[in-house]
Amino acid sequence: MSELVRDSLDHCVKCTICESFCPFSRATPLFPGPKYVGPQAERYRQDGVSPDLSVDYCSGCGICTAVCPQGVKIAEINARARARLWEERGIPLRNQLIARPTVLGRLGTPVAPVANWTLRNRLLRRLLESTLGIHRDAPLPGFAGRTFQRWARRHVSPPAERTVVYFHACGTNYYEPAVGQMTVEVLEHNGFHVVVPPQDCCGLPLQSNGNFPAARTYVRRLAARLAPYARDGCAIVSNSTSCGLMLKREAFEILDVEDDDLRVVSEAMFDLCEFLLLLHEGGELRTDFQPLAMTVPYHAPCQQQGHGIGKPALDLLSLIPLLRTIELDAGCCGVAGTYGLKKEKYPISMAVGDGLFRQIREVEPDVAVCDSETCRWQIEHGAGVHAVHPVELLHRAYGLGAA
Amino acid sequence: MTYDAVVIGAGLAGLTAALRLAEEGLRVVVVAKGVGGTHLAPATIDVLGYDDGPVESPARALPEFAARHPEHPYGRLPADVIPSSLEWFRERLDELGYQGGLDENLLLPTAVGVAKPTALVPQTMAAGDLRAGGRFVFVGLRGLKDFYPAYLAENLARAALPGGHSVRARAVELAPRLGEERDVSGLGFAERFERRDFRETIVRELKPRLAPGEVVGFPAVLGLRHAREVWQDLEAGLGRRVFEVPTLPPSVGGMRLFESMTAALRRKGARIVVGSSVDGAESDGRQLTGVVALTAGRPRTYRGRAFVLASGGFSSGGLQVDSHGRARETILDLPVAGAPGPGEPRFAPGYLDEHPIAGAGLVVDELLRPLGADGAPAFENLYAAGATLAGAVPWQEASGNGVSLSTGYGAASEILQGTP
Amino acid sequence: MRSLETEVLVVGGGSTGAGVVRDAAMRGFSAILVERGDLAVGTTGRFHGLLHSGGRYAVKDPDAARECVVENAILRRTAADCIEDTGGLFVTTRWDDPAFGDEFEQGCRETGVPVEEIPVQEALRLEPRLDPTISRAFTVPDASIDAWKLVWGCARSAEEHGAEILPYHRVLDLEQDDGKVIGALVKDELAGEEVRIRAEIVVNAAGAWAGHIAELAGCKVAVLPGKGIMIAMNHRLVNTVVNRCKPPADGDIIVPIRTVSVIGTTDTRVADPDELEVTQAEIEEMLDEGEKLVPGFREARALRVWAGARPLFSAEEVASTRDVSRAHALVDHAERDGVEGFITITGGKTTTFRLMAEAAVDAVCEHLGVDRPCRTQEEPLAGSEEGRFYWLGSRLRAREPVPRSEEIICECELITRDRLEAAITRRPTTNLDDVRRVLRLGMGPCQGGFCIYRATGILHARERLDHRAANSSLLAFLQERWKGVHPILRGDQLRQATLDDWIFQGLLGVQHLPE
Repeated sequence: MSELVRDSLDHCVKCTICESFCPFSRATPLFPGPKYVGPQAERYRQDGVSPDLSVDYCSGCGICTAVCPQGVKIAEINARARARLWEERGIPLRNQLIARPTVLGRLGTPVAPVANWTLRNRLLRRLLESTLGIHRDAPLPGFAGRTFQRWARRHVSPPAERTVVYFHACGTNYYEPAVGQMTVEVLEHNGFHVVVPPQDCCGLPLQSNGNFPAARTYVRRLAARLAPYARDGCAIVSNSTSCGLMLKREAFEILDVEDDDLRVVSEAMFDLCEFLLLLHEGGELRTDFQPLAMTVPYHAPCQQQGHGIGKPALDLLSLIPLLRTIELDAGCCGVAGTYGLKKEKYPISMAVGDGLFRQIREVEPDVAVCDSETCRWQIEHGAGVHAVHPVELLHRAYGLGAA
Repeated sequence: MTYDAVVIGAGLAGLTAALRLAEEGLRVVVVAKGVGGTHLAPATIDVLGYDDGPVESPARALPEFAARHPEHPYGRLPADVIPSSLEWFRERLDELGYQGGLDENLLLPTAVGVAKPTALVPQTMAAGDLRAGGRFVFVGLRGLKDFYPAYLAENLARAALPGGHSVRARAVELAPRLGEERDVSGLGFAERFERRDFRETIVRELKPRLAPGEVVGFPAVLGLRHAREVWQDLEAGLGRRVFEVPTLPPSVGGMRLFESMTAALRRKGARIVVGSSVDGAESDGRQLTGVVALTAGRPRTYRGRAFVLASGGFSSGGLQVDSHGRARETILDLPVAGAPGPGEPRFAPGYLDEHPIAGAGLVVDELLRPLGADGAPAFENLYAAGATLAGAVPWQEASGNGVSLSTGYGAASEILQGTP
Repeated sequence: MRSLETEVLVVGGGSTGAGVVRDAAMRGFSAILVERGDLAVGTTGRFHGLLHSGGRYAVKDPDAARECVVENAILRRTAADCIEDTGGLFVTTRWDDPAFGDEFEQGCRETGVPVEEIPVQEALRLEPRLDPTISRAFTVPDASIDAWKLVWGCARSAEEHGAEILPYHRVLDLEQDDGKVIGALVKDELAGEEVRIRAEIVVNAAGAWAGHIAELAGCKVAVLPGKGIMIAMNHRLVNTVVNRCKPPADGDIIVPIRTVSVIGTTDTRVADPDELEVTQAEIEEMLDEGEKLVPGFREARALRVWAGARPLFSAEEVASTRDVSRAHALVDHAERDGVEGFITITGGKTTTFRLMAEAAVDAVCEHLGVDRPCRTQEEPLAGSEEGRFYWLGSRLRAREPVPRSEEIICECELITRDRLEAAITRRPTTNLDDVRRVLRLGMGPCQGGFCIYRATGILHARERLDHRAANSSLLAFLQERWKGVHPILRGDQLRQATLDDWIFQGLLGVQHLPE
């Protein structure tokens, strides 16, 4: 696989279309563009050694790979170059820390109120910035205190003809358990018995911070947990669009994990909106929606676009009467997972997201809609508008919310 | 879900077909492996620029050209399609203010100072028309390595123009402040031009250096989403007519075109999927029922009633020659006409010679449906448009966007006529 | 007519000629080098880029192997900056006789080529693209060498020691007086005028063209050009020089050199070193041979194909001349033909160029009745004083931390505007082609699609070329590039070429440039 990704650089005809779409190279001179650090620089990297720090300013958003007309795996080449760079230099403590959401989650959850207070305290954030390098204004989410797993262990999913497995990912577990609940309820409403296996991180933040060995360990472990269900013919759905993408393809293409467990899991993996829309296309989605008289802007996260399935959320939301969804076309929100949390990258990420924040504010909505949790937190921070996963609106329209 | 139309490819041909269908209320999805055509070509619509010498009037030249070249896409289209498609295009992209038509080609300077015939140009380029001669000054921007106004001007001043008109041309170099980055792309400059303060500096520096009666030519970087305002603002500030000259890709003018057309498509409720390449097909006899596209996880089938293949030519990979010299159409494996077989020479030794493989592509019937191996349309409901078609050598004829626009429009028309 | 006088006149600006003029100048002779084109446009500029360890000759030609061993070490000491220490591998594929490996190893030990057999797994770890079915692997100190840096390095060194280097000076005739060659009549191609050069001795280092030069003095040097083709692949499929462990044959070496990997070569006798046609059959052969070493080679992107002419001399020459080894020939025309003041040094390979030059200048010393020792085995070229080898990532690192802090004119080869302008300044009579050769402008994957227009614009802006010269330079470049590209145009490179056609013909309209 590594050779296939690297060999894709041969397809580059230097058209620079990728660079014209890359939001990060336009926001900072420290990043010369995906074509530059990808297929072009790779020809200069012998034995994979990366002499160029500028590749670290690639956010991994993946827009370049999506728009490349020649099929160059640009973002994947960049991700691997970045890993070699950090392997050589040693990954800084900050990156090691923020790349392990389950560690942070386990530390913060029991002391959630204190932890949250700490993270909102300006003085302590300044300290965090100067010691660890996490920008004082970076949108760090608040710990929920009670994990989603805890709710799931207590929840009894009604038996049903069909079973679906829920991969909720770390964001839902530690920060947004309510979204997880809504996901389960929406699936159950549509006649599924929902299984929530014990699960850990998929390794995506470790991968994007260049720690490939640790990322591989995590993703293999997760795949091993989920594989038996996949082999049984169950679909696996996730509301975390980026983690779903990790299992669908990034673990294979970037980390070279050629595990049989991973393969069956990736074949059974569905993004939540993708899954629900397929149900609808098969005439199996309940459409007993109450009207929601709202106008909402929808932003498709870059990682969601990386699935290559279009924007299923749009078609789903169009089923809700009176709901008007405005499809935004502003590119990237800028946060790119953990990228926008870093001191040296935060200003870049805010510059990148500026166009999106403006488009959202222009709509003057009550709520914005976006499939990725980190993007939602960035949108709330940058546009000052509350952001929800599409499933929340479906949940509301189904009337499943508490009255 | 079955779409009314599935369009493969997001170049000008694909976007045209999709938009034409979407605005008639059809459910359309555009599936493309990337973004291409628009960003590589200037935003002008070249219909027919050269046919053994420059073409003055496409309206006059086309019927005879089509008769002489029945295998050319223009030879496959009903007579009214080309003018209708231009009319449609001008109306739909009204914010880009396209001017011109088939009666007489404009002559615009290229980045090396050649006077090139073209039929339809955006308003930001129209003042560069050389047909009546004139006095031009070309503005270079330090940091933009894709524009050399002195070289352009020297060649342009010697260009042979019809009617004995002559052109006076000179160059001026500006050095706007750029910050840490000294190598700024066309897009980088376009974004800077969208800022009023930047424009004011440009005007301030440039205006005193202009002579009376000079028309001012910039590289095509005058803004992106607000190109009209940028251009008008510069004209007002400089007190002169201003125009843009397209330079190396990625083309800012092409980006504007892409943004306008995709925004229009979204407004009409069409779906656009970029980053998913079509890899196979599902069919029921001679009816294409779906195309299979690769996604991150597993392939996904887009079902439709009609299909448009607008995947481009050799430069986009819609057509390809493998290492053994065999030419193929890469998505549906349709037979490729006009390609020499393995072992036969595909290219002539002179770079500017006519190359045997140049016009290779798909042959279509009079309804723009690509033919299968047996000479009948491969599928009853599959149409083809754009650079995938055989018979054209667009960079020599100056016909690229004209072929894409007219065949994309034509394919959509055929689908609309067939729709109950 | 302009007149020049010197002690040593060297004809030929390839590695041999450059080595001779440097050695002569270092030994205190006044010297002039004339070359009809730019330096290193002949065989030196078209070879594989291989600095031999000697392994290739260890079995078949032990003397040549011994020479390579010595010269390899010398060049690593004195021309480190021109060399990338890639190391070399000899591998036994399933098409090769494993027993030959023993002969090979034996031959290496006997000739002094440092060799070590390594486990196949180790070789595959070093080079993951190798065919996994290889049965044996040996390491040797092969390396890749930059011909232009080498030749220009020698030329500069010669200039520093007082020599005059005259590219674009074509020898029209060798002037004789009473059975002695006294100099040459040359044409300065750029100024368009003739120049008479008087010399005590003329050294014919014209490589594959040595026969033509010798004829001007009425001497016969039977140099038979041996054509070999090479294909450059878009990226380094291997980072070590990879050889087939078998008796030398066609297409059995892949050399990683700068950003590309080059496969070669063939061997066809041709009549005229200026007529080197590349045939489809040769191309297919190279791709097939490459496939045996690196599965998937055939489908990898090929950038361009070219041919060089080896200067092979016929066997009769060997017997009747005073020569240093079978690998090259030094012909003293006074001894052999009764023509004084004229020697020819030919044959050989770039790896042993310094040795050939030493032999030639030793002969010059004899002729001129002086005894001056050679120092080229010790004295490093400029830039190589610290013995640091070329490192592939250097151009990439040089652009950090703000890669676009300078305009990058050729993106594929990371050539900045400053570098381009410095090259233009350094050589006042430059044109686009000379610049291209020295900087490798337009030699990357896009084959000039973007950078050639930029470079032409810059040359014009710097008033090096008026618009007419700029136009013809641009068109000449496109034609020259086309020559090397159209025979292998398929797959990815065809896509690139089509995009380039859109740019040059569609967008710019170069075919309609005014005369």
